[in-house]
Amino acid sequence: MRDRAATYLLLAPAALVFGALFVLPLAYFLVISFWRVRLFKLQPDFTLFNYGQVFDLHLPTLVFTLSLALLVAALTTILGFAYAYLIRFKAGQWGPTLLFVALITLFGGYLMKIYSWMTILGITGVLNTALLALGLIEEPLPWLFYNVGAVVVTLINFLIPLAVLPIYASMRGITDIELEAARDLGAGGWRRFSDIVVPRSQPGIMAAFALCFLLAAGDYLTPQLVGGKVNMIGVQIAPQFGGLGNWPMGAAMSFVTLGSSLAVILAALFILAQWRPR
Amino acid sequence: MNKTANFLWTAAGVLFVVFLVSPLLLVVLFAFTSRPQSAFPIEALSFRWWQAMVANPNFLPAFRNSLVISGTVGVLSAIIGTMAALGLTQLDAWRARLAAAMLCLPLMLPPLVLGVALLIFYSRTHIPMGPQTVVMSHLLFALPFVVLVVYARLRNFDFRVVESARDLGASPLRAFFTVTLPIISPTVIGAALIATALSLDDFVITFFTIGKGMTLPTFVFAMIRTTVTPAANAVGTLILMMTIGATLAALWLTRYRG
Repeated sequence: MRDRAATYLLLAPAALVFGALFVLPLAYFLVISFWRVRLFKLQPDFTLFNYGQVFDLHLPTLVFTLSLALLVAALTTILGFAYAYLIRFKAGQWGPTLLFVALITLFGGYLMKIYSWMTILGITGVLNTALLALGLIEEPLPWLFYNVGAVVVTLINFLIPLAVLPIYASMRGITDIELEAARDLGAGGWRRFSDIVVPRSQPGIMAAFALCFLLAAGDYLTPQLVGGKVNMIGVQIAPQFGGLGNWPMGAAMSFVTLGSSLAVILAALFILAQWRPR
Repeated sequence: MNKTANFLWTAAGVLFVVFLVSPLLLVVLFAFTSRPQSAFPIEALSFRWWQAMVANPNFLPAFRNSLVISGTVGVLSAIIGTMAALGLTQLDAWRARLAAAMLCLPLMLPPLVLGVALLIFYSRTHIPMGPQTVVMSHLLFALPFVVLVVYARLRNFDFRVVESARDLGASPLRAFFTVTLPIISPTVIGAALIATALSLDDFVITFFTIGKGMTLPTFVFAMIRTTVTPAANAVGTLILMMTIGATLAALWLTRYRG
Protein backbone atom coordinates (compact mmCIF):
# COMPACT_ATOMS: atom_id res chain seq x y z
CA MET A 1 0.00 0.00 0.00
CA ARG A 2 2.67 2.49 0.99
CA ASP A 3 4.39 2.52 -2.34
CA ARG A 4 6.54 5.65 -2.64
CA ALA A 5 6.58 5.79 -6.41
CA ALA A 6 2.80 5.40 -6.61
CA THR A 7 2.32 8.18 -4.06
CA TYR A 8 4.45 10.61 -6.03
CA LEU A 9 2.77 9.59 -9.28
CA LEU A 10 -0.63 10.39 -7.75
CA LEU A 11 0.56 13.79 -6.53
CA ALA A 12 2.46 14.65 -9.71
CA PRO A 13 -0.35 16.25 -11.80
CA ALA A 14 -1.44 18.53 -8.93
CA ALA A 15 2.20 19.41 -8.26
CA LEU A 16 2.65 20.21 -11.94
CA VAL A 17 -0.35 22.57 -11.96
CA PHE A 18 0.87 24.23 -8.77
CA GLY A 19 4.48 24.55 -9.97
CA ALA A 20 3.92 25.50 -13.61
CA LEU A 21 0.89 27.77 -13.17
CA PHE A 22 1.45 29.29 -9.73
CA VAL A 23 5.08 29.21 -8.59
CA LEU A 24 6.60 29.86 -12.01
CA PRO A 25 4.32 32.74 -13.10
CA LEU A 26 4.61 34.41 -9.69
CA ALA A 27 8.41 34.06 -9.70
CA TYR A 28 8.53 35.56 -13.20
CA PHE A 29 6.17 38.32 -12.07
CA LEU A 30 8.58 39.12 -9.24
CA VAL A 31 11.56 39.16 -11.63
CA ILE A 32 9.73 41.51 -14.00
CA SER A 33 9.05 43.96 -11.16
CA PHE A 34 12.81 44.76 -11.27
CA TRP A 35 12.81 45.36 -15.03
CA ARG A 36 12.24 48.58 -16.96
CA VAL A 37 10.18 49.58 -19.96
CA ARG A 38 12.15 51.55 -22.55
CA LEU A 39 10.61 52.68 -25.82
CA PHE A 40 7.53 50.52 -25.13
CA LYS A 41 9.68 47.39 -24.83
CA LEU A 42 10.48 45.30 -21.77
CA GLN A 43 14.16 45.56 -20.84
CA PRO A 44 15.71 43.07 -18.41
CA ASP A 45 17.32 45.02 -15.61
CA PHE A 46 17.81 44.93 -11.87
CA THR A 47 16.48 48.18 -10.56
CA LEU A 48 14.38 49.29 -7.62
CA PHE A 49 13.11 52.18 -9.74
CA ASN A 50 9.57 50.78 -9.99
CA TYR A 51 9.35 50.24 -6.24
CA GLY A 52 10.49 53.82 -5.68
CA GLN A 53 7.83 55.00 -8.11
CA VAL A 54 5.13 53.05 -6.25
CA PHE A 55 5.94 54.93 -3.06
CA ASP A 56 6.32 58.29 -4.84
CA LEU A 57 3.12 58.07 -6.89
CA HIS A 58 0.77 55.69 -5.09
CA LEU A 59 1.54 55.93 -1.38
CA PRO A 60 -1.73 57.75 -0.46
CA THR A 61 -3.76 55.25 -2.51
CA LEU A 62 -1.94 52.35 -0.86
CA VAL A 63 -2.48 53.70 2.67
CA PHE A 64 -6.15 54.35 1.88
CA THR A 65 -6.56 50.83 0.45
CA LEU A 66 -4.95 49.18 3.48
CA SER A 67 -7.09 51.24 5.90
CA LEU A 68 -10.25 50.38 3.99
CA ALA A 69 -9.28 46.70 3.85
CA LEU A 70 -8.59 46.75 7.61
CA LEU A 71 -12.02 48.26 8.30
CA VAL A 72 -13.78 45.82 5.96
CA ALA A 73 -11.88 42.78 7.29
CA ALA A 74 -12.57 43.76 10.92
CA LEU A 75 -16.30 44.38 10.32
CA THR A 76 -16.69 41.25 8.20
CA THR A 77 -14.91 39.09 10.78
CA ILE A 78 -17.11 40.46 13.60
CA LEU A 79 -20.30 39.95 11.56
CA GLY A 80 -19.11 36.52 10.40
CA PHE A 81 -18.38 35.59 14.01
CA ALA A 82 -21.86 36.73 15.08
CA TYR A 83 -23.44 34.74 12.26
CA ALA A 84 -21.42 31.60 13.10
CA TYR A 85 -22.27 32.04 16.81
CA LEU A 86 -25.92 32.31 15.86
CA ILE A 87 -25.75 29.09 13.84
CA ARG A 88 -23.83 27.13 16.49
CA PHE A 89 -25.44 28.31 19.72
CA LYS A 90 -28.62 30.32 19.19
CA ALA A 91 -30.51 29.24 16.08
CA GLY A 92 -31.42 25.71 17.21
CA GLN A 93 -33.34 23.96 14.45
CA TRP A 94 -32.78 26.95 12.13
CA GLY A 95 -28.99 26.52 12.31
CA PRO A 96 -28.70 24.30 9.23
CA THR A 97 -30.85 26.75 7.22
CA LEU A 98 -28.58 29.68 8.14
CA LEU A 99 -25.49 27.62 7.28
CA PHE A 100 -27.13 26.67 3.99
CA VAL A 101 -27.69 30.37 3.14
CA ALA A 102 -23.98 31.07 3.76
CA LEU A 103 -22.94 28.13 1.56
CA ILE A 104 -25.30 29.03 -1.28
CA THR A 105 -24.11 32.65 -1.37
CA LEU A 106 -20.45 31.57 -1.17
CA PHE A 107 -19.81 30.08 -4.59
CA GLY A 108 -21.89 32.23 -6.89
CA GLY A 109 -22.44 35.73 -8.03
CA TYR A 110 -19.30 37.81 -7.31
CA LEU A 111 -19.95 40.15 -10.25
CA MET A 112 -23.75 39.98 -9.87
CA LYS A 113 -23.59 41.02 -6.21
CA ILE A 114 -21.60 44.15 -7.11
CA TYR A 115 -24.00 44.87 -9.98
CA SER A 116 -26.97 44.38 -7.67
CA TRP A 117 -25.63 46.97 -5.24
CA MET A 118 -25.51 49.40 -8.18
CA THR A 119 -29.25 48.88 -8.63
CA ILE A 120 -29.89 49.08 -4.86
CA LEU A 121 -27.93 52.23 -4.01
CA GLY A 122 -28.18 54.23 -7.26
CA ILE A 123 -30.18 57.43 -7.64
CA THR A 124 -33.19 55.53 -9.07
CA GLY A 125 -32.23 52.51 -7.01
CA VAL A 126 -34.30 50.26 -4.81
CA LEU A 127 -33.43 52.04 -1.58
CA ASN A 128 -34.27 55.53 -2.85
CA THR A 129 -37.49 54.30 -4.47
CA ALA A 130 -38.54 52.62 -1.23
CA LEU A 131 -37.77 55.66 0.92
CA LEU A 132 -39.65 57.95 -1.52
CA ALA A 133 -42.64 55.61 -1.60
CA LEU A 134 -42.72 55.52 2.20
CA GLY A 135 -42.65 59.32 2.24
CA LEU A 136 -39.52 59.34 4.42
CA ILE A 137 -37.64 61.53 1.94
CA GLU A 138 -38.75 64.13 -0.60
CA GLU A 139 -35.88 63.80 -3.06
CA PRO A 140 -33.68 60.79 -3.90
CA LEU A 141 -30.53 60.71 -1.79
CA PRO A 142 -27.51 61.02 -4.12
CA TRP A 143 -24.98 60.25 -1.38
CA LEU A 144 -25.91 56.56 -1.08
CA PHE A 145 -23.84 55.76 -4.13
CA TYR A 146 -20.38 56.35 -5.57
CA ASN A 147 -18.65 56.67 -2.23
CA VAL A 148 -16.62 54.76 0.36
CA GLY A 149 -19.74 53.60 2.20
CA ALA A 150 -21.08 51.84 -0.89
CA VAL A 151 -17.69 50.11 -1.38
CA VAL A 152 -17.60 48.95 2.26
CA VAL A 153 -21.17 47.59 2.20
CA THR A 154 -20.61 45.76 -1.10
CA LEU A 155 -17.31 44.22 0.02
CA ILE A 156 -18.80 43.07 3.34
CA ASN A 157 -21.78 41.61 1.47
CA PHE A 158 -19.74 39.26 -0.67
CA LEU A 159 -17.04 38.52 1.94
CA ILE A 160 -19.36 37.48 4.84
CA PRO A 161 -19.82 33.85 3.69
CA LEU A 162 -16.02 33.52 3.45
CA ALA A 163 -15.75 34.66 7.09
CA VAL A 164 -18.65 32.58 8.42
CA LEU A 165 -17.43 29.21 7.19
CA PRO A 166 -13.93 29.01 8.76
CA ILE A 167 -15.22 30.49 12.05
CA TYR A 168 -18.15 28.07 12.14
CA ALA A 169 -15.76 25.19 11.35
CA SER A 170 -13.72 25.94 14.48
CA MET A 171 -16.83 26.62 16.61
CA ARG A 172 -18.19 23.21 15.70
CA GLY A 173 -15.33 21.71 17.71
CA ILE A 174 -16.65 23.29 20.93
CA THR A 175 -18.75 20.66 22.70
CA ASP A 176 -21.75 21.34 24.92
CA ILE A 177 -20.01 19.18 27.56
CA GLU A 178 -17.14 21.62 28.11
CA LEU A 179 -19.52 24.60 28.27
CA GLU A 180 -21.68 22.78 30.84
CA ALA A 181 -18.60 21.78 32.81
CA ALA A 182 -17.53 25.43 32.91
CA ARG A 183 -21.02 26.44 34.03
CA ASP A 184 -21.02 23.79 36.78
CA LEU A 185 -17.69 25.16 37.97
CA GLY A 186 -19.35 28.56 38.33
CA ALA A 187 -18.33 30.34 35.11
CA GLY A 188 -20.87 32.97 34.04
CA GLY A 189 -22.03 33.67 30.50
CA TRP A 190 -19.30 36.18 29.69
CA ARG A 191 -16.58 33.99 31.24
CA ARG A 192 -17.67 30.99 29.14
CA PHE A 193 -17.72 33.20 26.05
CA SER A 194 -14.34 34.83 26.57
CA ASP A 195 -12.50 31.78 27.98
CA ILE A 196 -13.94 29.02 25.81
CA VAL A 197 -15.87 30.23 22.76
CA VAL A 198 -13.48 32.94 21.54
CA PRO A 199 -10.16 31.11 22.14
CA ARG A 200 -11.49 27.94 20.53
CA SER A 201 -12.71 29.93 17.50
CA GLN A 202 -9.40 31.73 17.07
CA PRO A 203 -7.99 29.65 14.16
CA GLY A 204 -11.19 30.32 12.21
CA ILE A 205 -11.25 34.00 13.17
CA MET A 206 -7.65 34.44 12.01
CA ALA A 207 -8.22 32.63 8.70
CA ALA A 208 -11.37 34.69 8.08
CA PHE A 209 -9.61 37.98 8.83
CA ALA A 210 -6.59 37.20 6.63
CA LEU A 211 -8.72 36.06 3.70
CA CYS A 212 -11.12 39.03 3.90
CA PHE A 213 -8.22 41.50 4.19
CA LEU A 214 -6.36 40.16 1.15
CA LEU A 215 -9.47 39.97 -1.02
CA ALA A 216 -10.62 43.46 -0.01
CA ALA A 217 -7.17 44.99 -0.53
CA GLY A 218 -6.85 43.39 -3.98
CA ASP A 219 -10.35 44.11 -5.25
CA TYR A 220 -10.65 46.51 -8.15
CA LEU A 221 -14.16 45.96 -9.49
CA THR A 222 -16.06 47.13 -6.42
CA PRO A 223 -14.46 50.60 -6.28
CA GLN A 224 -14.77 50.88 -10.06
CA LEU A 225 -18.47 49.97 -10.21
CA VAL A 226 -19.96 51.35 -6.96
CA GLY A 227 -17.16 53.61 -5.68
CA GLY A 228 -17.18 56.44 -8.23
CA LYS A 229 -14.04 58.40 -7.41
CA VAL A 230 -12.97 56.00 -4.63
CA ASN A 231 -9.42 55.10 -5.60
CA MET A 232 -8.04 51.76 -4.48
CA ILE A 233 -4.68 50.32 -5.46
CA GLY A 234 -6.29 47.58 -7.59
CA VAL A 235 -7.90 50.27 -9.77
CA GLN A 236 -4.35 51.54 -10.45
CA ILE A 237 -2.85 48.08 -10.99
CA ALA A 238 -5.33 46.72 -13.55
CA PRO A 239 -4.72 49.34 -16.31
CA GLN A 240 -0.94 48.66 -16.13
CA PHE A 241 -1.72 45.44 -17.97
CA GLY A 242 -3.90 46.99 -20.66
CA GLY A 243 -2.87 48.67 -23.91
CA LEU A 244 -0.65 51.50 -22.63
CA GLY A 245 0.39 49.76 -19.46
CA ASN A 246 3.74 49.33 -17.81
CA TRP A 247 4.11 45.70 -16.68
CA PRO A 248 7.13 46.15 -14.36
CA MET A 249 5.31 49.03 -12.66
CA GLY A 250 2.14 46.95 -12.25
CA ALA A 251 4.18 44.03 -10.90
CA ALA A 252 5.96 46.23 -8.36
CA MET A 253 2.60 47.71 -7.28
CA SER A 254 1.22 44.17 -6.83
CA PHE A 255 4.13 43.06 -4.66
CA VAL A 256 4.09 46.22 -2.55
CA THR A 257 0.36 45.68 -1.98
CA LEU A 258 0.87 42.01 -1.07
CA GLY A 259 3.83 42.73 1.21
CA SER A 260 2.17 45.58 3.08
CA SER A 261 -1.06 43.57 3.36
CA LEU A 262 0.85 40.67 4.91
CA ALA A 263 2.51 43.06 7.38
CA VAL A 264 -0.88 44.48 8.47
CA ILE A 265 -2.38 40.98 8.70
CA LEU A 266 0.50 39.65 10.82
CA ALA A 267 0.20 42.63 13.17
CA ALA A 268 -3.57 42.10 13.45
CA LEU A 269 -3.15 38.36 14.06
CA PHE A 270 -0.58 39.10 16.76
CA ILE A 271 -3.09 41.39 18.49
CA LEU A 272 -5.85 38.77 18.11
CA ALA A 273 -3.58 36.12 19.64
CA GLN A 274 -3.41 38.19 22.86
CA TRP A 275 -6.98 37.09 23.64
CA ARG A 276 -6.24 34.05 25.79
CA PRO A 277 -8.20 32.35 28.56
CA ARG A 278 -7.30 33.83 31.94
CA MET B 1 -34.70 39.36 29.73
CA ASN B 2 -34.51 35.98 28.04
CA LYS B 3 -37.41 36.85 25.76
CA THR B 4 -35.73 40.07 24.65
CA ALA B 5 -32.47 38.21 23.96
CA ASN B 6 -34.30 35.60 21.92
CA PHE B 7 -36.09 38.28 19.95
CA LEU B 8 -32.81 40.10 19.25
CA TRP B 9 -31.12 36.92 18.00
CA THR B 10 -34.08 36.13 15.75
CA ALA B 11 -34.04 39.67 14.37
CA ALA B 12 -30.27 39.39 13.76
CA GLY B 13 -30.74 36.10 11.92
CA VAL B 14 -33.47 37.53 9.69
CA LEU B 15 -31.40 40.66 8.94
CA PHE B 16 -28.35 38.54 8.05
CA VAL B 17 -30.35 36.38 5.65
CA VAL B 18 -32.00 39.42 4.03
CA PHE B 19 -28.60 41.12 3.65
CA LEU B 20 -27.03 38.04 2.06
CA VAL B 21 -29.90 36.95 -0.17
CA SER B 22 -31.68 40.13 -1.31
CA PRO B 23 -28.97 41.34 -3.74
CA LEU B 24 -29.22 38.02 -5.56
CA LEU B 25 -33.04 38.01 -5.47
CA LEU B 26 -33.14 41.53 -6.92
CA VAL B 27 -30.92 40.48 -9.84
CA VAL B 28 -33.41 37.72 -10.65
CA LEU B 29 -36.49 39.89 -10.11
CA PHE B 30 -35.37 42.70 -12.44
CA ALA B 31 -34.55 40.17 -15.17
CA PHE B 32 -38.33 39.85 -15.64
CA THR B 33 -39.30 43.53 -15.68
CA SER B 34 -41.06 45.01 -18.69
CA ARG B 35 -39.44 48.43 -18.17
CA PRO B 36 -36.05 49.45 -19.60
CA GLN B 37 -34.45 49.98 -16.13
CA SER B 38 -33.44 47.56 -13.40
CA ALA B 39 -35.54 49.46 -10.87
CA PHE B 40 -38.89 49.56 -9.14
CA PRO B 41 -41.75 49.83 -9.95
CA ILE B 42 -42.05 46.70 -12.04
CA GLU B 43 -45.15 47.33 -14.15
CA ALA B 44 -45.51 43.90 -15.71
CA LEU B 45 -43.55 40.70 -15.88
CA SER B 46 -42.02 40.03 -19.26
CA PHE B 47 -39.39 38.00 -21.08
CA ARG B 48 -38.30 40.86 -23.32
CA TRP B 49 -34.84 41.14 -21.68
CA TRP B 50 -34.30 37.42 -22.08
CA GLN B 51 -35.10 37.82 -25.78
CA ALA B 52 -32.70 40.79 -25.90
CA MET B 53 -30.02 38.64 -24.27
CA VAL B 54 -30.42 35.82 -26.80
CA ALA B 55 -30.55 38.30 -29.70
CA ASN B 56 -27.16 39.74 -28.70
CA PRO B 57 -24.59 38.30 -31.15
CA ASN B 58 -22.05 37.89 -28.34
CA PHE B 59 -24.35 35.81 -26.15
CA LEU B 60 -24.13 32.40 -27.79
CA PRO B 61 -20.32 32.30 -28.13
CA ALA B 62 -19.98 33.46 -24.50
CA PHE B 63 -22.48 30.86 -23.31
CA ARG B 64 -20.71 28.12 -25.24
CA ASN B 65 -17.29 29.19 -23.91
CA SER B 66 -18.63 29.19 -20.35
CA LEU B 67 -20.03 25.68 -20.69
CA VAL B 68 -16.89 24.27 -22.33
CA ILE B 69 -14.49 25.94 -19.88
CA SER B 70 -16.41 25.11 -16.69
CA GLY B 71 -17.16 21.56 -17.81
CA THR B 72 -13.49 20.93 -18.59
CA VAL B 73 -12.40 22.49 -15.30
CA GLY B 74 -14.87 20.27 -13.44
CA VAL B 75 -13.66 17.05 -15.10
CA LEU B 76 -9.93 17.86 -14.97
CA SER B 77 -10.00 19.04 -11.35
CA ALA B 78 -11.99 15.94 -10.35
CA ILE B 79 -9.36 13.64 -11.89
CA ILE B 80 -6.26 15.54 -10.74
CA GLY B 81 -7.78 16.39 -7.36
CA THR B 82 -8.88 12.83 -6.56
CA MET B 83 -5.43 11.53 -7.52
CA ALA B 84 -3.81 14.11 -5.25
CA ALA B 85 -6.20 13.32 -2.37
CA LEU B 86 -5.35 9.62 -2.68
CA GLY B 87 -1.65 10.53 -2.68
CA LEU B 88 -2.12 12.64 0.46
CA THR B 89 -3.64 9.70 2.37
CA GLN B 90 -0.36 7.85 1.84
CA LEU B 91 1.79 10.62 3.31
CA ASP B 92 2.22 11.07 7.06
CA ALA B 93 -0.15 13.56 8.67
CA TRP B 94 2.36 16.40 8.91
CA ARG B 95 3.44 16.25 5.25
CA ALA B 96 -0.14 15.82 4.07
CA ARG B 97 -1.20 18.95 5.94
CA LEU B 98 1.73 20.92 4.54
CA ALA B 99 1.00 19.79 0.96
CA ALA B 100 -2.71 20.63 1.32
CA ALA B 101 -1.88 24.07 2.75
CA MET B 102 0.47 24.76 -0.18
CA LEU B 103 -2.19 23.81 -2.71
CA CYS B 104 -4.53 26.35 -1.05
CA LEU B 105 -2.07 29.25 -1.46
CA PRO B 106 -3.59 30.42 -4.79
CA LEU B 107 -6.88 31.00 -2.93
CA MET B 108 -5.19 33.49 -0.60
CA LEU B 109 -3.91 35.65 -3.46
CA PRO B 110 -6.21 38.44 -4.72
CA PRO B 111 -7.57 37.21 -8.09
CA LEU B 112 -6.31 40.42 -9.71
CA VAL B 113 -2.67 39.57 -8.90
CA LEU B 114 -3.07 35.96 -9.98
CA GLY B 115 -4.81 37.07 -13.19
CA VAL B 116 -2.16 39.58 -14.29
CA ALA B 117 0.74 37.28 -13.32
CA LEU B 118 -0.77 34.54 -15.50
CA LEU B 119 -1.43 37.00 -18.32
CA ILE B 120 2.25 37.99 -18.40
CA PHE B 121 3.35 34.36 -18.11
CA TYR B 122 1.19 33.20 -21.06
CA SER B 123 2.11 36.21 -23.11
CA ARG B 124 5.90 35.86 -22.56
CA THR B 125 5.92 32.08 -23.10
CA HIS B 126 3.83 32.55 -26.27
CA ILE B 127 1.07 30.24 -25.08
CA PRO B 128 -1.89 31.36 -27.23
CA MET B 129 -4.61 32.78 -24.98
CA GLY B 130 -8.15 31.48 -25.27
CA PRO B 131 -10.44 29.00 -23.51
CA GLN B 132 -7.46 26.68 -22.97
CA THR B 133 -5.52 29.22 -20.88
CA VAL B 134 -8.67 30.03 -18.89
CA VAL B 135 -9.09 26.32 -18.06
CA MET B 136 -5.46 26.09 -16.92
CA SER B 137 -5.85 29.20 -14.76
CA HIS B 138 -9.14 28.05 -13.21
CA LEU B 139 -7.53 24.76 -12.14
CA LEU B 140 -5.47 26.78 -9.66
CA PHE B 141 -8.45 27.80 -7.55
CA ALA B 142 -10.71 24.81 -8.36
CA LEU B 143 -8.20 22.06 -7.44
CA PRO B 144 -7.78 22.98 -3.75
CA PHE B 145 -11.54 22.57 -3.16
CA VAL B 146 -11.62 19.14 -4.80
CA VAL B 147 -8.50 17.97 -2.95
CA LEU B 148 -9.78 19.16 0.46
CA VAL B 149 -13.29 17.71 0.02
CA VAL B 150 -12.15 14.32 -1.33
CA TYR B 151 -9.28 14.10 1.18
CA ALA B 152 -11.74 14.72 4.05
CA ARG B 153 -13.90 11.90 2.69
CA LEU B 154 -10.93 9.53 2.35
CA ARG B 155 -9.79 10.18 5.90
CA ASN B 156 -12.81 8.33 7.25
CA PHE B 157 -12.73 5.75 4.52
CA ASP B 158 -12.32 2.12 5.54
CA PHE B 159 -9.24 1.08 3.56
CA ARG B 160 -9.69 -2.53 4.70
CA VAL B 161 -12.17 -3.03 1.84
CA VAL B 162 -9.44 -2.06 -0.63
CA GLU B 163 -6.97 -4.39 1.09
CA SER B 164 -9.49 -7.23 0.80
CA ALA B 165 -9.75 -6.61 -2.91
CA ARG B 166 -5.95 -6.58 -3.20
CA ASP B 167 -5.67 -9.82 -1.19
CA LEU B 168 -8.15 -11.41 -3.58
CA GLY B 169 -5.81 -10.56 -6.43
CA ALA B 170 -7.08 -7.25 -7.78
CA SER B 171 -4.42 -4.92 -9.18
CA PRO B 172 -4.18 -1.49 -7.48
CA LEU B 173 -5.92 0.10 -10.48
CA ARG B 174 -8.66 -2.51 -10.54
CA ALA B 175 -9.17 -2.16 -6.77
CA PHE B 176 -9.50 1.60 -7.23
CA PHE B 177 -12.03 1.43 -10.06
CA THR B 178 -14.15 -1.39 -8.62
CA VAL B 179 -13.99 -0.61 -4.88
CA THR B 180 -12.70 2.84 -3.91
CA LEU B 181 -14.21 4.95 -6.69
CA PRO B 182 -17.79 3.60 -6.49
CA ILE B 183 -17.81 4.31 -2.74
CA ILE B 184 -16.40 7.86 -2.93
CA SER B 185 -17.97 8.85 -6.26
CA PRO B 186 -20.77 11.04 -4.76
CA THR B 187 -18.07 13.08 -3.01
CA VAL B 188 -15.93 13.29 -6.15
CA ILE B 189 -18.88 14.41 -8.29
CA GLY B 190 -19.95 16.90 -5.61
CA ALA B 191 -16.44 18.36 -5.46
CA ALA B 192 -16.31 18.56 -9.27
CA LEU B 193 -19.60 20.48 -9.26
CA ILE B 194 -18.16 22.99 -6.78
CA ALA B 195 -15.16 23.39 -9.09
CA THR B 196 -17.55 23.93 -12.01
CA ALA B 197 -19.53 26.55 -10.07
CA LEU B 198 -16.35 28.45 -9.13
CA SER B 199 -15.21 28.38 -12.74
CA LEU B 200 -18.60 29.52 -14.09
CA ASP B 201 -18.65 32.44 -11.67
CA ASP B 202 -15.07 33.65 -12.13
CA PHE B 203 -14.71 37.03 -13.75
CA VAL B 204 -11.32 38.50 -12.83
CA ILE B 205 -8.96 35.69 -13.85
CA THR B 206 -11.01 34.93 -16.98
CA PHE B 207 -10.93 38.59 -18.00
CA PHE B 208 -7.13 38.68 -17.99
CA THR B 209 -6.41 35.24 -19.47
CA ILE B 210 -9.03 34.69 -22.20
CA GLY B 211 -7.45 36.84 -24.89
CA LYS B 212 -10.18 37.83 -27.35
CA GLY B 213 -13.18 35.64 -26.46
CA MET B 214 -15.86 36.03 -23.82
CA THR B 215 -17.53 33.96 -21.11
CA LEU B 216 -20.87 34.80 -19.49
CA PRO B 217 -19.30 36.87 -16.67
CA THR B 218 -17.08 38.90 -19.03
CA PHE B 219 -20.09 39.31 -21.34
CA VAL B 220 -22.22 40.69 -18.51
CA PHE B 221 -19.34 42.97 -17.46
CA ALA B 222 -19.24 44.48 -20.95
CA MET B 223 -23.00 45.09 -20.67
CA ILE B 224 -22.66 46.77 -17.26
CA ARG B 225 -19.87 49.02 -18.52
CA THR B 226 -21.88 50.40 -21.44
CA THR B 227 -25.65 50.87 -21.31
CA VAL B 228 -27.15 49.09 -18.34
CA THR B 229 -30.41 47.38 -19.24
CA PRO B 230 -32.19 44.49 -17.51
CA ALA B 231 -30.62 42.24 -20.17
CA ALA B 232 -27.60 42.22 -17.81
CA ASN B 233 -29.96 40.86 -15.14
CA ALA B 234 -31.06 38.10 -17.50
CA VAL B 235 -27.43 37.01 -18.08
CA GLY B 236 -26.75 37.33 -14.35
CA THR B 237 -29.79 35.18 -13.55
CA LEU B 238 -28.55 32.56 -15.99
CA ILE B 239 -25.12 32.51 -14.28
CA LEU B 240 -26.72 32.35 -10.82
CA MET B 241 -29.05 29.52 -11.83
CA MET B 242 -26.09 27.48 -13.04
CA THR B 243 -23.73 28.19 -10.11
CA ILE B 244 -26.41 27.79 -7.43
CA GLY B 245 -27.80 24.71 -9.17
CA ALA B 246 -24.31 23.14 -9.21
CA THR B 247 -23.74 24.11 -5.55
CA LEU B 248 -27.10 22.63 -4.48
CA ALA B 249 -26.35 19.37 -6.27
CA ALA B 250 -22.86 19.34 -4.74
CA LEU B 251 -24.18 19.88 -1.20
CA TRP B 252 -26.73 17.12 -1.66
CA LEU B 253 -24.14 14.71 -3.07
CA THR B 254 -21.38 15.35 -0.52
CA ARG B 255 -23.72 15.08 2.44
CA TYR B 256 -25.15 11.96 0.92
CA ARG B 257 -23.11 9.14 2.56
CA GLY B 258 -20.92 11.74 4.28
